[in-house]
Amino acid sequence: MTEIEIEPEVSNIFSTNNTALYQCDRSESFILKFFEEHISFKIGELQAIRKKIRNIDLAQLFKSGTPDIEILNVPQCDRIFVLSILEILELKELFSGAFVMLELNSVIHREILRK
Amino acid sequence: MKDILRRHQILREEIVNILNKQVQIEAQSAANYLAMAAWCDVRGYDNSAEFYFKQSDEERKHQLKLFHYLADMECDAISPAIEEPQHEFTTLRSVFERALEMEIAVTDAIHNVVRECRKHGDIATEEFMRWYVQEQIEEEYVARRCLELFDVLGEDKIALGMFEERVLGIEYEGD
Ligand SMILES: [Fe+2]
Repeated sequence: MTEIEIEPEVSNIFSTNNTALYQCDRSESFILKFFEEHISFKIGELQAIRKKIRNIDLAQLFKSGTPDIEILNVPQCDRIFVLSILEILELKELFSGAFVMLELNSVIHREILRK
Repeated sequence: MKDILRRHQILREEIVNILNKQVQIEAQSAANYLAMAAWCDVRGYDNSAEFYFKQSDEERKHQLKLFHYLADMECDAISPAIEEPQHEFTTLRSVFERALEMEIAVTDAIHNVVRECRKHGDIATEEFMRWYVQEQIEEEYVARRCLELFDVLGEDKIALGMFEERVLGIEYEGD
């Protein structure tokens, strides 16, 4: 984990207790830290995964009679994730926070840096 | 920190969604016109069949143009699911009636895309959509002219023959 943080071209965009999202300026990609794992995404892929996570209906998971886990397929890392409700909550928080920061970064570039 | 969102010209999610919806509508139109072509073909209305085969090709092109735009913008273009088209019609005129209804619905959808672009200040996509706005003016014009021809000629056997002779010549002559 520490290995990522010391690279100068990598910035932390947003973190929660067990997850974090980093941006690598050199490769123009994003690194998702999910517990002990790191998965790399291009921006389009990141948007796709964000949408999948946002579309997970928590109310449905809380209903009795259905399992309270969700299976998430992530094509970028050749495996599927089985997420608990707590993990889903954390990922939802991570992605909404991270995209606010990315959009804020866009505004800063547009209104200040490029001017 | 680089502005990766902007560097990759990423469209807003709302715009991606409505463009994908439009991809579906164009694909559905292509399928619907193909069904109309088949109906005309088996009943011996060869020129009307050709008219709809061409129309179906056009819709497919409309679909692909949107599809490529999404892909060029590094956004997810979705190959859409199509509903079963209407295969049964009562008369040749009713096929053309249905076609006009379809085109009006497509125009409304295109206008909604433009409105969504304006709402989000997406000037580039709005500009891209101008071609579709213009195209719909032509499509509606042609569909209306076909129906006017029925009004003028009537619908007996001779009239339908005359309609067949004229249908491939109906064009929009703008400017
Ligand atoms: Fe079209």
